[in-house]
Amino acid sequence: MFSYSVVGAQLYVGDMLFVMITFLVLMWLIKIVAWKPVTKMMQDRSDKIVNDIDSAKESRTKAAELAQKRQAELDKTRDDASGIINNAKQNGQRQREQIVEDARSEVSNLKSSAEKDIEQQRQEALANSRKDVASLSIEIASKIISKELNEDDQKGLVDSYIEGLGKQK
Amino acid sequence: MGDSAASTFEFLGLTFNVGNMISISLACVVVLVLVYALSRHLTLKPGKAQNVLEYAVDFTNGIVRSSISGETSRTLGLWGFTLFMFIIIANLQGLFLHIDISGVTYVKSPTSDPVITMTLALMTLTLAQFLGIRKLGYKGHFENYLKPFVFFLPINLFEEFTNFLTLGLRLFGNILSGEMLLGIILGMSHGGAVMWIVSFILELAWTGFSVFIGCIQAYVFVTLSSVYISRKLELED
Repeated sequence: MFSYSVVGAQLYVGDMLFVMITFLVLMWLIKIVAWKPVTKMMQDRSDKIVNDIDSAKESRTKAAELAQKRQAELDKTRDDASGIINNAKQNGQRQREQIVEDARSEVSNLKSSAEKDIEQQRQEALANSRKDVASLSIEIASKIISKELNEDDQKGLVDSYIEGLGKQK
Repeated sequence: MGDSAASTFEFLGLTFNVGNMISISLACVVVLVLVYALSRHLTLKPGKAQNVLEYAVDFTNGIVRSSISGETSRTLGLWGFTLFMFIIIANLQGLFLHIDISGVTYVKSPTSDPVITMTLALMTLTLAQFLGIRKLGYKGHFENYLKPFVFFLPINLFEEFTNFLTLGLRLFGNILSGEMLLGIILGMSHGGAVMWIVSFILELAWTGFSVFIGCIQAYVFVTLSSVYISRKLELED
């Protein structure tokens, strides 16, 4: 009773039922065979990608942090190094100055002591020569004076002198 | 073809067409084998076969998602995929395999039969009604027929009917005309060697074009179905 004409073809109600049932069965089979595993796999993949992106972001921030820390440490080290170098330079400068100062003072000490020595020696020499001159002049004077002594005395004196000379020899 | 005799039988008072049943079963088996073959050895890093299948899944999901939003589109992914695969294989089947035995067609494109395309359209629109009622409730769903005015009720009802008719007949017409023309060109080839060569070239060109049309029609059918469903899922103003 349903088989009337639609667009030149017969209406087979049985076929309609058949298409519906086969379509539903096909859908069910595809769901079991492919749809579930494929959808699950795609979901897993997108989850993994999201995770990877997150972890990549995390590790990037960590890396940036580390780089910053390293940079800070580097700067600090450089500061330290330059401080040490500066210190050393200052020390060196100071030491050099010290040494030069020491040398200068020593030199001046030496000079002054040498001068003192020289002065002393000169004084001594002067004193000696003065003494010598005095004794010489006394001698001369005594000799001149002894000339005015009598002949005997004079003679005796001369002799004694000569004797003395001879002894001195 | 429309004028060829069909082998039918009656069962439980219903008329069955053997040719249609064979064609539908064959299309389903091809789809199932194809999907089964492509879905072996699924890995996180997809191989060639898996890539093809995932591309198809993404493609149909994209069609469904472009018109239907939210949770419903996820549950309709399988429906869109199955519908698309079935229609595209059914459309192409008749181009490669057309078996007539003593004037009775046994294997052809199932979609070149209006009964089958109309049934697919009917299933789609029934699904649309069902999803609409589930989403909006009976009241919200049937009030949509009275919008924007109460007087629009006949127009809305008529629109439902034309949606059903155009959805089914568009697919049927495209595929039937493709197969019919292939048959006519085939008939031309019996007129001598020159005609054979000419018809061979024509047949080649038309088969290529029909493959193109078959793919387009599968896409159009799924797209329009999604649009009809999406319109049932929202309250009209």
